[in-house]
Amino acid sequence: MAKIDELKEEARKVLRDGTVKYIIGYGNGTNGWPAAPIFVKKPEDVDRFIWDPTCVHNLVRFLIDEKRRKARQKQPDKRPVGIFVKGCDSRAIVVLLQEKFIERSDVYILGVSCEKAGVVDAAKLSKKLAGKMPKRVELDDQNRFVVTTESGKIEAAADELLAERCRECPANFPVIYDVLSGEKVKRTPDKPYGSLEKIESLSAEERWTFWKAQLDKCIRCYACRSACPMCYCDECVVDSINLAVTADTTADEKAQRIRWVQRSAESSENFVYHLVRAMHLAGRCIDCGECERVCPLDIPLRFLNKKLEKEAKELFGYDVGFDASLPALISCFRDEDPQDFIR
Amino acid sequence: MAEEFEPRIVAFLCKWCSSAGADLAGVSRMEYPPNIVPIQVMCSGSVSPLYIFSAFNKGADGVLVSGCHPGDCHYIKGNYYARRRLNLVNKLLEYVGLEPQRFRMSWVSAAEGTKYTQVIKDFVKDLKPLGPQTKLRRNA
Repeated sequence: MAKIDELKEEARKVLRDGTVKYIIGYGNGTNGWPAAPIFVKKPEDVDRFIWDPTCVHNLVRFLIDEKRRKARQKQPDKRPVGIFVKGCDSRAIVVLLQEKFIERSDVYILGVSCEKAGVVDAAKLSKKLAGKMPKRVELDDQNRFVVTTESGKIEAAADELLAERCRECPANFPVIYDVLSGEKVKRTPDKPYGSLEKIESLSAEERWTFWKAQLDKCIRCYACRSACPMCYCDECVVDSINLAVTADTTADEKAQRIRWVQRSAESSENFVYHLVRAMHLAGRCIDCGECERVCPLDIPLRFLNKKLEKEAKELFGYDVGFDASLPALISCFRDEDPQDFIR
Repeated sequence: MAEEFEPRIVAFLCKWCSSAGADLAGVSRMEYPPNIVPIQVMCSGSVSPLYIFSAFNKGADGVLVSGCHPGDCHYIKGNYYARRRLNLVNKLLEYVGLEPQRFRMSWVSAAEGTKYTQVIKDFVKDLKPLGPQTKLRRNA
């Protein structure tokens, strides 16, 4: 795991010079672990930044809030915002740049390479610890997890505790950055879409049973939407109730409005919601796993997004989040796009 | 004897080609099954995936999206975008376990009245053995 000492020095320097407004990074969680996002404005607070395998959050989400805040201010502070990114997070920034949601000058990127490892999977970790409370989770030089608990240290191989998405990560180093810590180690996963195989090998009927069981659980809390760095629309199509409701919108007009998706947590509506969300993330999802992490009902949402990532790669040869100068997947086309499904 | 199942198909037809093709089939008095609910859209590229999911949700047994042949789009490239996007929709519906026969896309030009009737006939023929679509239908 990369060390971030040089990055901290750099962070201190840019904060002292005032070239960045503030820096978003990871600090100690309230009970020591896991890491939690922190915002640092003063150079003397830079030492609060930490880096360990529990830095799972995708901080790019905060750039969206930042943009909103700036849009509301009369004289916004135009200085960039510093942000710590992992490989996947940096690709989220690339997608936002690609869609021209943010400018490159809006962010000052402090990249940290995951090198050969990645982040820890909370579920796997709690299973491994069987009730014990971890104090620290670290990766040693051999890329083995070392978990410090109250009753001593527990070691585990990287593959045992690594999040599934990290094992399938196509580039576990930042693809875009201003300063970088750690080496750019290119690692080609043997099975980039390995976790999908289990579902894809099922028959259509079994797949349906699987997804129905999963999506029936959904309570429509929209946590997946709130945590997603790609869900930045001011008004979401699924809560059409909000669509331009002003003081003089009559009750009649509200009643006449098309509601594409009902709010009720009913099985078929849940399907429509999740299918729409998957489609909206096609060619944009960078597999940071935030939706799945925040889901209170543990719906494997990643499998929906990963599937479309796979199809984008196989059908159109499209890699998500590597080149900000390319057009987005569904805002471009090629003459030779497959059309064998069309009659 | 039980009545034969008649599927209800929602068809999004682009204004410039497929709608005109359907018109041609009509004025030429060609016969085809009456299971279609045609919806005219300005371009196949304007068909949002949400239209398709929503049609299934509101009780369609099959959804057809039809546009101009590649290169013939009134808006130059709308059907190319549609082709890319709806390919993904197709894969996604299949992935969650909906029968792949239920969603279909076709190219029908304004002169292809016969092709239009053929597309509809085939679609109805494929849907009949499947029975009603209950998976994505609300309150099923």
